[in-house]
This record gives sequence, C-alpha cells and structure tokens, in this order.
Amino acid sequence: MDFTLSSMKKDLLRWMQDPTGILLWIVLPLMIGGMTALLFGGGGGVKPHGVLLIADQDDSLISGLVAGAFSQGELGELISVEKVSVDAGTERINNGEASGFLIIPSGFGAAFFESTPVTLTLRTNPAQTILPGIITDVTEILLDAGFYAEQLFGPEIRAVRTADKKGAVDEVLVSSVAVAVQQKIDSAATRIFPPALDVVIVEPPPTEPAVPLGFLFLPGVILMGMMFAANGLAGDYWTERELGALRRIVFAPSRLMPFLVGKALAAGLVIATIGGLTLFVGFLYLGIAWHKLPASLLWVAVSGIALFAWFGALQMSSSSRRAGNLVTSMLLFPLLMIGGSFFPLASLPNWMAAFGRRTPNGFIADQLSSQITTAGAWSIGAQNWLIVLAVAASGLLVCAWRLQSGFARS
Amino acid sequence: MLVVENLIKQYGDLMAVDNISFEASQGTVFGLLGPNGAGKSTAINCISGLLKATSGRIRVAGFDVQKEGKKARKSLGVVPQELALYEDLPAIDNLRFWGKAYGMRGAELQSRVQDVLAHIGLGDRAGDLPKTFSGGMKRRLNFGCGIVHRPAVMLLDEPTVGVDPQSRERLFEMVEAERNNGTCVLYTTHYMEEAERLCDSVAIIDHGKLISQGTVAELRAQLGARDVLQLSGEFPQASTELAVKNLVESGLSDLEMISQEETSITLTLTSGSQHLPAIFSTLSDAGGKVSETNLRSPNLETLFLLLTGKELRE
Repeated sequence: MDFTLSSMKKDLLRWMQDPTGILLWIVLPLMIGGMTALLFGGGGGVKPHGVLLIADQDDSLISGLVAGAFSQGELGELISVEKVSVDAGTERINNGEASGFLIIPSGFGAAFFESTPVTLTLRTNPAQTILPGIITDVTEILLDAGFYAEQLFGPEIRAVRTADKKGAVDEVLVSSVAVAVQQKIDSAATRIFPPALDVVIVEPPPTEPAVPLGFLFLPGVILMGMMFAANGLAGDYWTERELGALRRIVFAPSRLMPFLVGKALAAGLVIATIGGLTLFVGFLYLGIAWHKLPASLLWVAVSGIALFAWFGALQMSSSSRRAGNLVTSMLLFPLLMIGGSFFPLASLPNWMAAFGRRTPNGFIADQLSSQITTAGAWSIGAQNWLIVLAVAASGLLVCAWRLQSGFARS
Repeated sequence: MLVVENLIKQYGDLMAVDNISFEASQGTVFGLLGPNGAGKSTAINCISGLLKATSGRIRVAGFDVQKEGKKARKSLGVVPQELALYEDLPAIDNLRFWGKAYGMRGAELQSRVQDVLAHIGLGDRAGDLPKTFSGGMKRRLNFGCGIVHRPAVMLLDEPTVGVDPQSRERLFEMVEAERNNGTCVLYTTHYMEEAERLCDSVAIIDHGKLISQGTVAELRAQLGARDVLQLSGEFPQASTELAVKNLVESGLSDLEMISQEETSITLTLTSGSQHLPAIFSTLSDAGGKVSETNLRSPNLETLFLLLTGKELRE
C-alpha cells in the first residue's frame, strides 16, 4: 500500500510539472460544452421575453383596451408593454431595442364605433423571430374580435355612447340595452349552441417529462475530457520506458502491481478533477441537485481508471509510441462520435444509440446521464459499478503482463 | 555472495552467453570485461532477473534467482547502463521512490536518502529536477538510486559510459566506498584501466564465452613480462611467417606472432624495445614495409589482445 501511494504521488508530482496538458483537457470539454449550449439555446429553459412599444395617439377607452390586452395572462409573461411617443418608439425599434412598435392613430376609438376604416401601424424587429410573430397575431385577433363585437352589438353601443355624450344614461337605457344584448345572444345561441362542429381533444399518451438538452450533452462532454485525458496519460508508459524507469521497476521485488495501481489511481485523480470541474459547471448551469454530485464524481473517477487501464494496455501492446498513439487515436474519435460525445445518444437513431451504449464511453456516459437525470442520489446500479471495476482490473492485469513480457525490458 | 554456474542464454541460434561461471565475494569488486556485444549486459540481465536464463544457476546472497526471485532481487542493487531516472521528479523524490520500491519506509528511508544524497554529492541539489543536471550528476543520482536500499550485491553495467573524467573519478570513489562497506560489486566495463583500478577479480568475456579469469595480478602473470608490438604496413604472408621464424631461431626465443594480416601483424616478446632494430631489419629483408609501430607494456588490455587477437574496443 505504501508503494502504491508512493507510485501515485510520483506520477502526480511529475504530471504537475506539465500543467498545460491537464489545463487543455479541462478547457476543451468546457469550451465544446459552452459552444453546444450557445448553439442549442442553452439547457436552462429560460422563457423568451420581449418589449412591445405602443404609441397611443387616440388615448381612448378602446385604444386603452388594445394596449391592456397585451399585458393580460400568459401573454403578459412574454411581453412587456411600454407606452412611448411616436419618435421615441421609432428610434428604439430602429435600434432593435424592442420586439414590436404599435401606433394607434388618433380617432381609432371613434372609427371603431362608427365602423369606419382605420389603420394601425405595427413595426416588428426583423432580428427576432418568435416574439414579433406573437405580437402580430395577437394584434390581428384583437382587431377581429373588436370588429365582430361592433357588428353584433353596434346599435346598443352607439345608444350608450350617444346618451353618454348627452349625459343621459339612466336605468331605463341600461336595462333596455341589457335586454337587447341578451335577446341577440339568445337568438344567436340557437345557431351557436350546440356548436355544429364538435372538437374532441385527445390527450397524448403520458410521457416522461422532456429532459433539457443540456442534460443530454453534459455526460458526453465529460466523457470527451475523460477520454482525452486517459489517452494522454496512458502515453506516460512510453515516457517511463524511455527514461529507463520501467526496467528498474522490473528489477525491484514484486512491486509491479502496486506500481500500476498507484499510477492508475493518479490517473483516476487527474481524470476526476477534469471531469469534476465540468460536472460542477454543468450542475451549476443546469440546476442539478447537488446531492447527485458525489456518486457522479465517483463514477467519473472509477470509469476514468478503467479507461486509463485499457488505453495503457493498448499503448503497451503497440510496437512504438507512434504506433500506440495511432491505434488509440483511431479508436478515440470514432468512439467519441458513436458514444455520445459529439451528439447525445438520445439524438441518434435507435440502432445507433443502442450500439453507442455498448461502447465503453457510451456505457459510462449513459450511466452518468441516468445518475444526473433521475431522482436518487445513487442511481447507478451495483452491477454497473462491478462491470467498471472489473474492466479496470482486467486492463491493469494486461498492463502488468505486458510489463513483464517485454515492454519494460526493451 | 554472487555465484554464477554454467550460465547459458540463447536467442535462437545465437549464443549470447555461453556457459560462463564465476564467483564474487563480499566486500570485493568483480570485473566482467569484454568488448561491446560480448555478452556482459545479457549476463547482468540474467543475474538481475530481467532475462530468464536458458540454463544455469545464479545465486545472489544465498538465494536462487529462479526459485527465490523476490528475495534475490531484494538483495540486488542495479545501476543500469542507460540512465534509469525520473528526470521530471526532484532528486530526493527519485531516491525516496526507489527506496520504497525495495520496501524501505519511514525514518529509516528518510535517513538513508539523506546519507545517499551526501554520498553522491547532490545534497545541495536535492530538490532540483534531474533534467537540469549535468550528465555526470545524473550518473551519480542513477548510482544513488541503485544503492539506496543497501543491497548486498550491486550490479554496475558500464556505469562510466559518456561520463566526464571528474564524475568518473567520483563514481570510482563511490564504488570503492560500497566495497569497503562490505557490498559485493559486479562491475562490467570495456575500459581495462577501470578494471585495473577497481577490480579485485576479473573475468574476460568475448562472444559470450569466458576466456580468462582471476585476480588482476594472476591475469598479468599470464602475460609475464612480455610486451605487445603492433606493426602496420605491408606484410607478405609467406615471407613474414618465415622472417618471424628466423627471428625466433636467431635468439628471440619467446617471440610469438599473435595475429597476421597483409596490413598488420601483432607480436609479443620480452623487452620489445631492445629488439626493435633486429625485427625491422628482418621484416624489411622479407619484403615487408613498416609504416606504424605501437609497443605496449603488459596490462589487461594487452592480455585481451593476446587472448583474442583483437583490440578490446573493436
């Protein structure tokens, strides 16, 4: 155990002499993850919000209703209404500071009541797509609704308006208007109710809540960093051979396995640090519950050891450092591609995703994905832990065999 | 302390080590001498357990290398021909690491590391990285890593290759100090002057075979007081052989021709410098032309020449 720790310390001290490589392994996945988040609009699910500028030149009851309609209900969560002058509104929409600019002209209310033509001007921001569309649709619906209300109840509205101008609104007028409105509704009801067309709303089958995109990308991005690090660190066997240290280790009595285990632990620590930083940023950005972090981190460390062990075995099975790097690089990039590091497994065709989950990194990423998306603090099954531990142990045994059978002696 | 019996190491048809036997005692330096490719390193690798011998028996500090490999290797300290250091790990951490590799720990290790650092003259550079060291300093640290666990038997495989004279002298002192501490040292080299300076006993090896063995004094006695005379030029074969025969018959009774080629001959004789005029005259009469003369007094190098007919550094 003492020599295992000594071997681990030795490698950590050596690798710290060259922090550039480790920094690259940290920065690379974070950079790719950041770019992915930007490309796909992030994973936090933030609702879009826009500003509608309204220049109300009419300043009537009806124009006030139009402006107020944008602030109601869920629409109000999407759009903030600001009343502005025509000049200020024009300047701000030209500068792209709002999603839309609506000009309600003077006389809009009167035209509404008198059923005379009137033009509202709506300018939208061409740099935006969703919010200006919503504003356009809502404005058209509002005007349509106003038109039909005026067509249906025009005489009653005009009677109230005339009486109001004369100051002669009394109980008789109100009751007669109310009766007339009720009669129109009753007569229309024979045609409206029951509706000739009936809509049956079919509820979609219950599905799992959609997982935000960032959750899907995070494990793949972490695995990318882990794979790069495991591959890079496994190349250290060649460095140690060139330094002659492996020969001396073989001279030493029965110290081969502690030496290899110490080296693997050092690699696991470095990979856990790299993966841990990415995990931390991911947890922070995606708002993942922190109680899932310890198991995630341990999974990254143990899996990192398994990856390092097998990259090491591949390096040591090659005839030269160059051949080793070639072999591992030829494996690395296809594995990253199919194992969900560039495209999440969930976004791949089913057959490809099934294949990807059977690759080493795909399996690790899939389990990590389960760990961060499901409720429990420890979601990865014992069987999967055992699989990874067995893979790590078998990789180290192959490394030991290669050291004994010639790699250290050459 | 170190016993090698009938050691054979074969690679296919190539006999790298051909049935060699020797024995080295506690507190002595045993030299294994021979030119490059003679089989010295192969023999060392078999002794250290790095290579498995084809046949033969090796015992280190009483332990059979094949049957009790772990105990045998614990008693061995190896200083390989090539540097075997972590150049990106401070010198003191190199020594600690190799000490722990041999089971040392705690206060014993710390104390030993300090002693070794002082012994190899790197006490003031303990915290520095070996990659910043000179070649000689690296060699000294390489040596230190081999002795940190106080081995009973040390294997030094051509430790002075590429070392400047000052560092070489320092290495000699360190080897002598180990011998004085009771360590049995097996020292391979192709520099005869190193063997003469350091070794109590010597075995000469060539083409995997042991061709001579004994103390330095015993080996010198094999030569007697005879010098080695090497002549370069043109030497017709038949007439040169006849000329040498005439010289022997005319009074140079101990004259002996070791090797003969058309462009060079090697002779051995007593008091060579006194007989040079007669030799030149006779060879000239036989149609020979001498363009270069090299007369050497007896030493291990001339013994090797005598035994193998070739220079040690060929």
